[in-house]
Amino acid sequence: MRRGWLGLLLALLVAAVLVFGSVATSLAAIPDDPDFDPVTRRFGRTRSITVEVYDRGNPGGSPPEDNAFTDFIKEGMLRDHNVRVTFVPIPRWTEVEVINARLAAGDAPDVAVTYSYPTIQTYANMGGVIDLAPYLEKYKDVLPNLWELLGDTNIYWNRDPNTGRVWAIEALLFQNKRINTFVREDWLKKLGLPEPRTLEEFENMLRAFRDNAELLLGPEMAHEMIPFSISQDVGWRADHLLMSFVPESLTDKEMFIYGFDDRHFLFPGYKEGVRKLNQWYHEGLIWPDFALYPPGDQTEDNNMKKGVVGAFIHNWDYPYRNGEDSIHVGLQRLVGPEAAFIAVEPFPNDAGIYRKFLSAPIDRKVFFPITNREPLASLLYLDWISKLENRRHLQIGWEGINHQVLPDGAVQLLQATGRYIMNSPQNIDYTLTINGLDLGDPEITAKSIALNYPGVDARYIERAYRITDNEARYGKNFQVGEIKAEEGMQTVLTQKRDNLLARAIVAPPDQFDRVWDEGFADYLRSGGQAIINERLQKYEAIYGE
Amino acid sequence: MATVLTTGRARKAINYIRSYWTLYVMLALPIAFFVIFRYIPMSYILIAFKKYSLFQSIWEMPWADNYGFEYFIRAFQNRDFINAVRNTLMLNALDLLVGFPAPIIFALLLNELVYPRYKRFVQTVTYMPYFLSWIIIAGMAMQVFAPNTGVVNVFLRRMGYQPIPFLNDPTWWVVTYVLLGVWKHLGWNTIIYLAALTGINPELYEAAEIDGANRWQKIRYVTLPGIRPTIITLLILNLGQILSSDFDRPYALMNPLVYDVSNVIATYVYTYGIRGLQFSLTTAVGLFQSVVCVIFLFAANALAKKYGERGVW
Repeated sequence: MRRGWLGLLLALLVAAVLVFGSVATSLAAIPDDPDFDPVTRRFGRTRSITVEVYDRGNPGGSPPEDNAFTDFIKEGMLRDHNVRVTFVPIPRWTEVEVINARLAAGDAPDVAVTYSYPTIQTYANMGGVIDLAPYLEKYKDVLPNLWELLGDTNIYWNRDPNTGRVWAIEALLFQNKRINTFVREDWLKKLGLPEPRTLEEFENMLRAFRDNAELLLGPEMAHEMIPFSISQDVGWRADHLLMSFVPESLTDKEMFIYGFDDRHFLFPGYKEGVRKLNQWYHEGLIWPDFALYPPGDQTEDNNMKKGVVGAFIHNWDYPYRNGEDSIHVGLQRLVGPEAAFIAVEPFPNDAGIYRKFLSAPIDRKVFFPITNREPLASLLYLDWISKLENRRHLQIGWEGINHQVLPDGAVQLLQATGRYIMNSPQNIDYTLTINGLDLGDPEITAKSIALNYPGVDARYIERAYRITDNEARYGKNFQVGEIKAEEGMQTVLTQKRDNLLARAIVAPPDQFDRVWDEGFADYLRSGGQAIINERLQKYEAIYGE
Repeated sequence: MATVLTTGRARKAINYIRSYWTLYVMLALPIAFFVIFRYIPMSYILIAFKKYSLFQSIWEMPWADNYGFEYFIRAFQNRDFINAVRNTLMLNALDLLVGFPAPIIFALLLNELVYPRYKRFVQTVTYMPYFLSWIIIAGMAMQVFAPNTGVVNVFLRRMGYQPIPFLNDPTWWVVTYVLLGVWKHLGWNTIIYLAALTGINPELYEAAEIDGANRWQKIRYVTLPGIRPTIITLLILNLGQILSSDFDRPYALMNPLVYDVSNVIATYVYTYGIRGLQFSLTTAVGLFQSVVCVIFLFAANALAKKYGERGVW
């Protein structure tokens, strides 16, 4: 009898030790993978991972999951780490929806990427994302290339100050270039106008475009004149103008607490900038159909190529990118060799500074969904694409096919065809950890960038490259942990912002204040104010007043 | 006596099953289909009362606050939701008002046509748009109605008139929305009425002619009463849809300028739920929507029965 009791007790004890022991180890550290050799950094048994790649649906592009560059990565990963890679194409313009659906189905790619950190935070709160902190700590030594490229700054950018958790790694924004203002250089010459250096000069230029439509476009096309073109994404497409209304006295703290919206919609002064757009709209200076076309629509690009657009604000190299399909090449083909967009700097702020608000050097956010069974293999993948030799090859491709090396060492891109076509500039969709050309030598990189736009005179690129971050102000990293109020609000508030901007621009001028104030109050009430309050409170809790 | 009766009844039942069991076995498959693909997924209605997680089963998720009704409360406090309900009701009511009588009138017109060939041709032309998706129609609408480049407005401008903001002014947008709906569905919905029309006894028309009825009187006293049951049935079914909304139609046609009238329940659910990951909130909204639709359906059916019609069931 007594022995029976003892046996039971012993069995319970063993069970308890087993249960608690395993819990304890899983909390303390990641178990060793005996199949992985830390010296050769190879697995004994072949592992398989899936990796997200944006599908931009480029006309004439190559399949994003199967082309010469994916083969290069697949072969390299199998050779260096014994990891088999499969690419999962995700439509670029509906990425969040598709990733949501795939996460819910347990079918998300092992290495996932998005530009929206709040989205990752939402997944993490549902228990859907792997905490990278213990893996990074344990495997730092076998990930030298990742650390060399990103450093602690980007790797630990999103570390929670209280829990130490890391849900996502920030890619490096190597060339921190954002936006430029472009005008038709040949029209300026034709009308004898100076290059605009002030808001007033810019406005007068737009009015001159409008009033001289017959001269610039001919009587047949005169009614198609669009002095200034914008799209539904007003915050991006009027950025330089809007930011010139933000007072120079804006503090870093204000930049943080109003920094939820990446178009800087909450910055002081924004309303006055929109009022200017409203005025332009009613003067007939803005494309009247701007609000009707959904993102990704080609109508506006076609207007630019057709040569009816006088000025616009967009990505820093927008008219020059995409080689043969670029706006620049299209414009020259349809209008003539003198037609070109040139970057200008017309919007000084209240202190006379041409201020541009740029983010800190962070870019896309890479995260591992909870369904990822191979976190180490996935980290090795990030390490592999971060290695200079590999990412350099992804960015410029094969010599003789994708590029040629000039005598001074600069790399010039060529028009590749078929499986060698790059679907995104410098293949950023594969170089998940870096955005921006990096050839290893800054001087050669700078020279090459100017050459990297086939069919475009280098002087346009050099100027756009120089102006876009001239007198820039960079965002700073304030690690305050999760902002609960932001959860799930990104799309709703973005939509509210875009709707308000469009409505405010077309509102009758005497009703502008009413439309704006009502819409803005609705934005704040729908979650905007809660975000501002929480950001302020958490900022002050950690950084003081 | 009673026992004899029941045993008699039981024997009848046994005999019945014996002779018809094969039919019941055949029925098992459709029933299984409905249970597996219709009723079991319905358990996910529970999401409306729980804190949703992408990664937990429906039974593991914790209950929402306020006795599970947290998300219903939140929805009704959300102005976008109230706005979406209002727009859904408004657009559906207008659709009903304009879109419901249109095919009836059209069917009557077609019925009066003498040349069968021409009739068939008109019918084919009018039901073709039914097969176009709203995405395509929205693209066409942009080509035709855009304020600057749309064909209609280019024409108007050439004539010296002001362009009409078909798509970018909220009131005009509603008009465009409703009329595009009529254009798309007119021909298709007419088919049902034409079928009902062929079912009317020709002797009634002959009798009316003998009584000296003119064309108009024949329509009024013979044709319309003849298709009345069809009209009532379709009206009930349409009333059951009063709070349900298409997704693709408003979504494809909407733009930021008309959001205040184009945001319907379906697009609200898409923005908040699928894109914003607030699945509990939007399931609550969907459940509310279904319940209201069922209430309308029952009410319409009861009303129809009260006024002497057959109703849907």
